[in-house]
Amino acid sequence: MINRKITILGPEGTNLYILLQFMLFSVISWFTLFSSIESIEFTTNNILTRQIVFSLVGLIVFFLTTYLSIENLYNLINSLFFLSISVLLGLLFTTPILGVRRWYDLEPLGLPIFIQPSEFSKIILVLFIAKMLSQKANKLFAISGVLISMFLIFIQPDLGTTMLLLIVASLMLFVSDIKMRSAVVGLLVLFLSFFILLEFNFFGDYQISRITDFFSGDDFSQNQSRLSISSGGLFGTYFTESKIIEVFVPVQTTDFIFSLYSRNFGFFGGLLLIALWIVFFFRVNRIIKRTQIEFEKYLLSGLLILLGVQILINLFTILGFIPLTGIPFPLLSLGGSSIFSTAIIFGLINRVFIENNIVV
Amino acid sequence: MFNQTRLKFTFLAFFILLAFVLIDIFQLQTREFESTSQIIDQQNLDKFYITAPRGEIFDASGQKIAETKLEPYLFINLRKITNQNSSDYRQVIQYNFPELETKEINEIFESKDILNLVINLSSVEYEVRNNLLTNFDAFLIIDLPIRNYSKNELFSHTVGYLGIPNQDEFNKFQNALGNNQVGKNGLERYYEEYLSGTPGELIFSGSEIIDSKQPIPGKDLFLSIDSRTQEVTKESLQQGIDLANKSFESQNIIKRGASVVLDIKTGNIISMVSLPDFDPNKFVSGISDFEYKQLDRDQAFNNFAIQGLYPPGSVFKVVAYWLALSENIFPEGLNNKNSKLDCEGNLSFGFDDGSQQVYNDWKLEGHGKVDLTDAIKQSCNVYFWDIALNIWRNYGNTDGESILQKYSKELGFSKKTNVDLPFEKVGIIPDRDLFEEWKISRPGLVREEGWLGGDLMNLIIGQGAITTTPLQVANAYRTLLTGENLSPTLNINAEKITNNKINVSDEFISFLLEDLNTVTNKGGTAYVSFSMLGNKVNDIGGKTGTAQNAGDKNNTSWFVGVDSISSPKYIIATVVDEGGSGSAVAAPISRRIIQYLLEYELTPVEFGEITE
Repeated sequence: MINRKITILGPEGTNLYILLQFMLFSVISWFTLFSSIESIEFTTNNILTRQIVFSLVGLIVFFLTTYLSIENLYNLINSLFFLSISVLLGLLFTTPILGVRRWYDLEPLGLPIFIQPSEFSKIILVLFIAKMLSQKANKLFAISGVLISMFLIFIQPDLGTTMLLLIVASLMLFVSDIKMRSAVVGLLVLFLSFFILLEFNFFGDYQISRITDFFSGDDFSQNQSRLSISSGGLFGTYFTESKIIEVFVPVQTTDFIFSLYSRNFGFFGGLLLIALWIVFFFRVNRIIKRTQIEFEKYLLSGLLILLGVQILINLFTILGFIPLTGIPFPLLSLGGSSIFSTAIIFGLINRVFIENNIVV
Repeated sequence: MFNQTRLKFTFLAFFILLAFVLIDIFQLQTREFESTSQIIDQQNLDKFYITAPRGEIFDASGQKIAETKLEPYLFINLRKITNQNSSDYRQVIQYNFPELETKEINEIFESKDILNLVINLSSVEYEVRNNLLTNFDAFLIIDLPIRNYSKNELFSHTVGYLGIPNQDEFNKFQNALGNNQVGKNGLERYYEEYLSGTPGELIFSGSEIIDSKQPIPGKDLFLSIDSRTQEVTKESLQQGIDLANKSFESQNIIKRGASVVLDIKTGNIISMVSLPDFDPNKFVSGISDFEYKQLDRDQAFNNFAIQGLYPPGSVFKVVAYWLALSENIFPEGLNNKNSKLDCEGNLSFGFDDGSQQVYNDWKLEGHGKVDLTDAIKQSCNVYFWDIALNIWRNYGNTDGESILQKYSKELGFSKKTNVDLPFEKVGIIPDRDLFEEWKISRPGLVREEGWLGGDLMNLIIGQGAITTTPLQVANAYRTLLTGENLSPTLNINAEKITNNKINVSDEFISFLLEDLNTVTNKGGTAYVSFSMLGNKVNDIGGKTGTAQNAGDKNNTSWFVGVDSISSPKYIIATVVDEGGSGSAVAAPISRRIIQYLLEYELTPVEFGEITE
């Protein structure tokens, strides 16, 4: 393991590209949110103020994550996994908020935020699977880890995150040396179990109605978000003094923020954002090819898959390709838990870059 | 081994899917751009809605508890603002309303609405208004209604609150869109169509108003609820909850409770309090997501009087009391209400399957010789268990085994009371069928053997799987005293629904009242809580209840009181969640409410006696 000088900004050699990318996405988010608020006030209720604070704290989280060497991280994974399971179990004993047990309220600690543990559980799950695969442990270990976490998130209930975990875990298994035959059988089992769950009323009424609304094509939020995207045109409305009234999209600052972004910055803005992410993917993929350590390969590809699937599910949702899910767009959506978890992902990637001596 | 090729395929699939996304977005933003603009125009461009004044809500003494104030607001027609006249208008606004900051003025002009609100004009002189209107044609004045809940928290659960409508509400309530507000809970919700009024409209063509419709105000609502009784009920409940916190070492802070006062003759609700509560005025100015989540966490939005589901404990014993007298089913060996059973503090019994069990009464040394009256007075469980055993041994596994459930349902348990409030819960009266259903839908909750005699014994003393709301309990007592299960209502003009009628003789009613009277008198479980009333207690009655909860939750404290035996007017049902013994906490709360109803001097809620 390489010993590095510790500086305030993490160990020597923070990758400038990763850092820049993180900050760029944050600033884009600020500009987008700015267009949706009427005034900037420095209170805990103002969404822009909240987001800026979250981004800055996210930056600290990014650097803190960087201090953790891959070797230490590797040894910590089992404990982290059990911690994640316990925290998810702990949620069962909280008072439901808005009808679901999804958040811890940090108000008693004096922090005006609600924290959503499943945002962090998904990273820990990626770490856990990466470790199991690189150890060449029985893949059933990895699979049962996935199933336990998925179940605990499913009963919150949070169907969107459950599906996300399912897809991420399947893809991570896919890039390992799993046999194609087992993969096909696994998919069939999943497909069947969905209908069995449906049969035994395991889904809530609102979950079913989201799906039926979707197929009858009358989901209000999705129709409105398509209108909002469409109204952006090629160049967006951000720089023009348009007198067009706002298009009302529910939860536009959180899950549906891409529709607000598209309206503001138009097609070219959307193209730019997606291009930035694609460049990021190629950049990280180069290290996956270069590193010799199996765990790092699984880790990086797992994190990329996690980010990529989140982005796709989010975009598919707001374009109405799939039913409503509630998956945020990484670094763009308003919300502390989502930003911190993405900061951790960026920090982990940065650490792998550092240990492979890649600075720019 | 890590498979780089498969990762490449994964990325490829990812990029292809992203390409689909981009193609779709491109089509939306180019080919559909024009048609979208039209849709958006139609959605909101050429019509400006004016919120209608909502109907007001009055209490029984004619006091306004929800009022609508109309206030004049200055609006600016932004379609008449051009680059040439923009600075003139800015100056006029700055000159006349120096309290507006530059930032706020900028926002007005940057708005994308047709009409944008400038300022409330209620404190501005007539000349100034007139001058603005005549000389500047982009200005206009519109009267807008402001909702105000003058009693703040006091009626948070009954009156409810307003909010911005969601899609379901747009579909359900036709005036929601134009008013841009809708009743979210309580009476504001239940009577939304009645209260809302029809929004006015201004129709624009370009920058000119070409047509307009005046808003039509909503209708007023008059309640049977009385503000002063409501205040006393809330104070008493709060005092009782504070007292319970002081007296018990509970793991959780006790903060939830509910109390209902019902007029026996009419079924009108005289007061209905649920704690914790909240200030509905907060929703008028807009509540933050964070604050909302916090209130939600404290369950402040729940009206526990109709949504709190609690096992009723001994207050449920009147069902068995009614059954015993109607069907002549008494403990084995007894044949009328006056024959006595020797209660030794426990009951051991065997079932056909050979199993032997011992049930312990709350009073381990026993109640001695008890008849039906004593069983109610001292809340003797053994007596009622014996009735359950009798039912089980005679009718077990036949159609007749559900006779207790049948009587419960006649009194309205596990059914809607049809109160004029939204989101009422119904609770559960368990029976064999339900347990069979739960075996499949909620495995682990019930035994493999299904419904057993022990479950019936639990039910008869209001324990086990049974849950009820405080309003259901109050209404059940009212039903027993009148013979008619009527929907309790808040609106005095509401149409009364007769849920069902039951057969009770005048003789039975006077028996019941006399026996309820023994509870608050010497030797009764609530005697300590009522003793300070002296002789007056001779005309008061009630029933205590203490229901055990699963886990380490403290017991649920219940009391159902009746204000007078000779001429009963009111039923008072009180529950304190985790409040411990009914005779210690809920009874003195109800006592204070009864003091008010009978116009006696009010004394503070004091800790009663722990029984049960």
